Amino acid sequence: MKKLWHLREFSTVVILLLEILFFTWWLWPEGSRPHPFFNAGNFLLILKYSSIYGIAAVGAAIVIISGGIDLAPGAVMALAGVVGAQLFVVGGWPLAPAMAAGVLVGFASGLLTSGLIVAIRLPPFIATLGVMGITRGLAFIITEGQYFDVSSRLVGGWRPFGLPADWVAPIILLVLAVIFQILMTAFQWGRSVFAVGGNETAALFSGIAVPWVKTSVYVISGALAAVSGIVLVLVQGQGKADLATGYELDIIASSVVGGASLAGGRGSVIGAVLGTLIFGVLRNALPQIPGATFYDRLIVGLVVIVIVVVDQLLLKKRA
Amino acid sequence: MRKALLGVAVAAAAMVAGCSGGGGETPKGPEKLRFMIIPKALDIPVFNYAKLGAERQAKEYGNVEILWNAPASADQLKQKEILESAITQRVDGIAISSLNGDFLTETINKAIDAGIPVTTWDSDAPKSKRYAFYGVDDYASGRIIGEQAVKLLGGKGKVAIITSVGASNLQRRLDGIKEVLATAPGIQIVETYDIKEDSVRCAELMASGTSRYPDLAAWLSTGGWPVFTRNATATVDPAKTKVISFDTIQPALDLLREGKVAVLVGQKYFGWGSESVKLLYDIKHGKMPSMPIIDSGVDVVTKENVDDYVAKWKKMESGS
Repeated sequence: MKKLWHLREFSTVVILLLEILFFTWWLWPEGSRPHPFFNAGNFLLILKYSSIYGIAAVGAAIVIISGGIDLAPGAVMALAGVVGAQLFVVGGWPLAPAMAAGVLVGFASGLLTSGLIVAIRLPPFIATLGVMGITRGLAFIITEGQYFDVSSRLVGGWRPFGLPADWVAPIILLVLAVIFQILMTAFQWGRSVFAVGGNETAALFSGIAVPWVKTSVYVISGALAAVSGIVLVLVQGQGKADLATGYELDIIASSVVGGASLAGGRGSVIGAVLGTLIFGVLRNALPQIPGATFYDRLIVGLVVIVIVVVDQLLLKKRA
Repeated sequence: MRKALLGVAVAAAAMVAGCSGGGGETPKGPEKLRFMIIPKALDIPVFNYAKLGAERQAKEYGNVEILWNAPASADQLKQKEILESAITQRVDGIAISSLNGDFLTETINKAIDAGIPVTTWDSDAPKSKRYAFYGVDDYASGRIIGEQAVKLLGGKGKVAIITSVGASNLQRRLDGIKEVLATAPGIQIVETYDIKEDSVRCAELMASGTSRYPDLAAWLSTGGWPVFTRNATATVDPAKTKVISFDTIQPALDLLREGKVAVLVGQKYFGWGSESVKLLYDIKHGKMPSMPIIDSGVDVVTKENVDDYVAKWKKMESGS
């Protein structure tokens, strides 16, 4: 079993590398000009923007592995960002506590979601659909159609811990991905998440506290979505109610491309992060091909289908 | 926020009262004109100035009430639903910024047939029977952006254009830009980016485009996405690359002052609201608009006149 997970991540890495190779070849510059795609600055850019999706995708993958689904991340991102930005810009709070308050919003929405799923027994699809509406709605009520301009208060070399600001998002992503990958693979809690997703009844009979496992995954998903929202505000310089509209689908797609099965019991945190990078490279490189900007929706859709179909075929072969 | 919630509660109560009344009787108060002003969406910051303009004009007349109503975010079907509800609610006039003019044409005509005057602002529905349109001539304002670019670049260099595919007014601005650039053989359009109305995507594309084309001479934008946040233009070196963009909502003017942005083309944001209310008020009092298309003109703002512009803006915002 364990070997299989490793194999699956291996194939995601291969797809990512092939993608990078392809665009490096396709966008090869004439003469001695620097390569427009294959350069350190551009990779940092891809990492920075992919982090916005990637952090939330870590949470989404855990929820999907547990057999659930979370449709709220995009809206939670917007609400957490709006709350953090409002406290920072209007409330005059220092940056760190303002953004921490934003993350608390994610915890709260995660608790609400798990309450609806565990206590009221709503299907996750419905519960998170409701929470998506509530959180997006709150973001609109707080902003009243305006936005909070974080960039004008963060003006000039903002260097958290002495690091360039562009590195912050990728580092947060990396740290969280490593922590949750370890939690999911080396700890009892992680194995419980897989067990609940694989067969809930069996998990219950084997003594796993299923309600607690479910509560934990939705709270984690909410909190990580909120961290994504804070990262988005810092990258974008703006807290706005309509930011990250529709991102939940990109986030779910990243987890699935990274090997998570919507049937539950299968997937990985690292896979989800690799999935967001696969999309991040596409988002970055496609518009560099003249005229391709109008095709990228179509190509992204095709890529999702092709990768998942290939994954299914490989899985059948191995089984 | 509390006021908004109260508003929702009152509206809900009014609906319940209306339903239980059954006969659609409206309470007779002093003769107030109820105008519904419909922007494209509630989440687009520029429209808040239109709201301010409309409310101020209404206050000046004294007997006009403004109903400000729109979908939370741009959604054509929801906007049509709101327009239909304005007809069934028998408002005294409607002024709308169309998300999709052709899609709304039939409903606008239905309102006019029902005796409710309709005007459009910012984004027209040219095939409808609307009394008048107030706003920029998009094609002409696109040409202005093109002319500014040709002038700034001395007629040569690589430019990249930012737009969002789908909205007809942005398409006309794009046509205007491209037509002028075509007259300058030394200017090459390296790419027209579709940012899909997502300002995060705009920032990402400007960053990757800047590294892709190190010798880029200008970014031209049909909308304000590059200048609504400081971060989108952060990677642009203004000494090498000029940014020419639509819209003048902050922090755009600060960016202009600091030299990050070269030229901004501002619309008559307050006028969208105040002129629409004036038009409807006149129509209700038997005075028809002199022409169907009222060109609001644009403000071309550069480093030279930005201080004047800001002073004028502040005056309009405070209403003094």
